[in-house]
Amino acid sequence: MSVAVEAKNLVKDFGSVTALDGLNFTIKEGEIFGLIGLNGAGKTTALRITSTLLLPTSGTVTVFGHDVVDEAAEVRNMISYLPEEAGAYKNLSGLEYLKFMASFRTNDKAAIGKLVDAASEISGLGDRLKDKVKGYSKGMKRRLLVARALMTKPKLAILDEPNSGLDVLHSVHVRTIIKRYAQEHKVTILLSSHNMLEVEYLCDRVALVNKGKVVAQGSPDELKKKFNAVNLEEVFGEVVGFA
Amino acid sequence: MLNDLMNIILKEIKELVRDPKVLLPMIIIPLVMFPLMGFAIQTSMETAQQSIGETSIALIDQDEGSFALSLQAFMTANNFSVTHLDNISVEDALLQVQDSNLSSLIIIPSGFSVNITKGKTADITVYTPFRGGGIAESTRSSTVNTLLNIFESGILDQRIREGFPESNATQILNPIKSEDKSIVKGKSADVSPDVLFGLMLSQTTIMPVGMITLLIFAMQLAATAVASEKEEKTLETLLTLPINRTMILAGKLTGSIIVALVGAVAYLIGFSYYMNSFMGISSNITIDLAAIGLAPSLASYIILGVSLFMALLSALALAISLSVFAEDVRGAQALVGPLSILFVVPMIFTMFTNINALPFPLSIILLAIPFTHPMLAANVSFTGNYVGAIGGIAYMAIFTIIVLYVAAKLFGTEKILTAKLKFQRRIKNIPRD
Repeated sequence: MSVAVEAKNLVKDFGSVTALDGLNFTIKEGEIFGLIGLNGAGKTTALRITSTLLLPTSGTVTVFGHDVVDEAAEVRNMISYLPEEAGAYKNLSGLEYLKFMASFRTNDKAAIGKLVDAASEISGLGDRLKDKVKGYSKGMKRRLLVARALMTKPKLAILDEPNSGLDVLHSVHVRTIIKRYAQEHKVTILLSSHNMLEVEYLCDRVALVNKGKVVAQGSPDELKKKFNAVNLEEVFGEVVGFA
Repeated sequence: MLNDLMNIILKEIKELVRDPKVLLPMIIIPLVMFPLMGFAIQTSMETAQQSIGETSIALIDQDEGSFALSLQAFMTANNFSVTHLDNISVEDALLQVQDSNLSSLIIIPSGFSVNITKGKTADITVYTPFRGGGIAESTRSSTVNTLLNIFESGILDQRIREGFPESNATQILNPIKSEDKSIVKGKSADVSPDVLFGLMLSQTTIMPVGMITLLIFAMQLAATAVASEKEEKTLETLLTLPINRTMILAGKLTGSIIVALVGAVAYLIGFSYYMNSFMGISSNITIDLAAIGLAPSLASYIILGVSLFMALLSALALAISLSVFAEDVRGAQALVGPLSILFVVPMIFTMFTNINALPFPLSIILLAIPFTHPMLAANVSFTGNYVGAIGGIAYMAIFTIIVLYVAAKLFGTEKILTAKLKFQRRIKNIPRD
C-alpha cells in the first residue's frame, strides 16, 4: 500500500500559542485514520493544514506525494474536506447545494447528476433534499455535508469531527456511511474526533494527539494490547495521564 | 475556469436574492415605499389645490362703502364663496368659522372706503382658523392674502392713473427692467442663471443620491457575501474546492454588482416616481439644453458610466478587503458602514460648491477620495471638464487595482480565515485562551 498522507515535524504557531509542536503521522492509501485527542490538542489545525487552508510554520505535509503548500492546487483536486462546524448555504435547497458543489468537479451535466444521485443515497434525505437548507435540523445538515464530502469519491476525505453534535440515530447513520464508503470505494479517510469509542469502531489506525504532538499511534487493537487497556479511552488515559 | 466563475456568480445571486434581509430593504421596500410616499404627497397636494379653487370665506362688513362692495365683488369674481355674518358679534363669528369649513373671516371696519378715498391707509382684519390641517390649510390662508394684495395693487394702479394721467402705471412702478441672461461656455444664453443653477442643483442632488445608494448597496452586499460564508461556516469548504481563489473573489464581486444594480434600479424607479409626484404639481420650466450647449453628449454619458463602474468596483474591493477581518455579517456591516462618510462628504461639497474653489489642501483631500470623481463626472456636461473626469477614472482604476490586489492576496492566503480585528480583546485586555 502506498502512502496517502505524510506529516513530518509539523509545527504551527498562532502568535505566541503553539498549536502543533512537531506532529508526525503517516496514513496508508485506503486507510481510515483517526486523530484523537482532547479539545485544543491540535487535531483541527493538523486537518486544516492538510486541507491547504493553513500554512505550517515549519515541517511538511504531503498528500499522495504532493506538498500541501507548494502544490496546493493538485492537493485540492484530490481531497474533500468536511470542517467540524461546517454549514451549507441556507437559502439553497439541499439539491441545489449538492449540484453547486458537484459542478466544481466536472462540467458534464450527466456526471453532475450522478454525483448528486450518489450524495442523495449517502445522505438518505430523500425528498427533503428539495427543501431549503435553512429548514434542516442539525443532523440532517450534517448528513448532507457528509454526503457532499463523499459523493465525489475523493482520493482523500478529511473529516473533522464528522459526528459533531449529532444524536445517536444520526451518529450511527453517519458512522455507517463512512465505514461502508471507505470499504466500497477505497477512499482514504483522515478524521478527527474526541469520541474515542467511535474512533475505535471506525478507524484502522489512530494517532493520539496531546499538546500538538502525537503521543502514540497504531491500530486500536495494538494500542489496547500495548497499554493493557479495555478501550481507547483507557489507552488515552494511560498515555496522557488523566486515568 | 469560466464555468467555476458562473457557478459562483449564480450561487451568489440565488443566496442574496433569496435572503429576506437583502430582498426586503434593497429591492421590495424602495419599489413600494417611494411610490407610496409619492402617492401620499401627490394626493394631499391635489386635495390642497382643489380646496384652493373652492375657498369659502366669512365676511363682516361694518363699512358698507364702495370699496368694501368692490372687494366683495372682486372675491366673488375670483371664485370665492362669501358668507355674510353681519348680524352677529365678532366673538360669535370666530366660533362659527372655527367650527365650519370656512377658510377665513374678513372684517372690514367702518371707515374702510372713506380712508381709501382720502388716500389714507385703510385697515382690514383677516382671521384664519388654525385646525392643524397642514399644507392645504396654509395654502388656503395664503390664497386669501394673495387676493387682497391683488386688490390693493388695483387701487394703487387707479391712484397712479388719476395722479399721472399721461403715464403708464406699470412703467412708473417698474422704472428699471432687468433682463437676466447667462454666459455658457463663453456664449450668451437666453436663460437666467438662477434657472441653470436650479437645473444643475437638481442634477447634483439626484445623481449623488442615486450613486450613493448604489455604492452603499453594493458594499453591504459584498461585505455580506464574504462574512456570511464565515458566519454560516461555508468558507472553509469553499476554499478547499479545486478552484482558483481569485475566481471565488471575482464571483462574489460580480454577484454583488448584479444584485446591487437590480437594487439600484428598484431604488431609482421608486425615487423617480416619488420625484415625479412633485414635478407633476409644480410648474415645469422647459429649457432647450442643446441650444445653449448644455445637453449631455454621448461622451458625457460614457464618462459618467465608466466613472460610476470604477467607483462601484473600488467600493466592492474595499468592502471585501474589510469584510475579511470580520467574523460575521454584523461585524462586516459594522466595518463597512463608516465608509459611507467617503460618499457623503464629497456629495455635500459637490452639491454646495465647486471643489476647485476650495482651499488647496481640502480640494486635494476630496480628490483623493475615489468616490468624489463620479460625482464630478455627473456634471461634466455642465463644466466641460472632460480631462479632469478622465483623470478621475484613471485614478479610480489605480485605486481599484491596488485594493483588488490586496483583496486577492487576503483571499489567497490563510489570512482569510485567521485575520480578525480584536478591538474588545485590546480594550479589555482579556488573555488568550
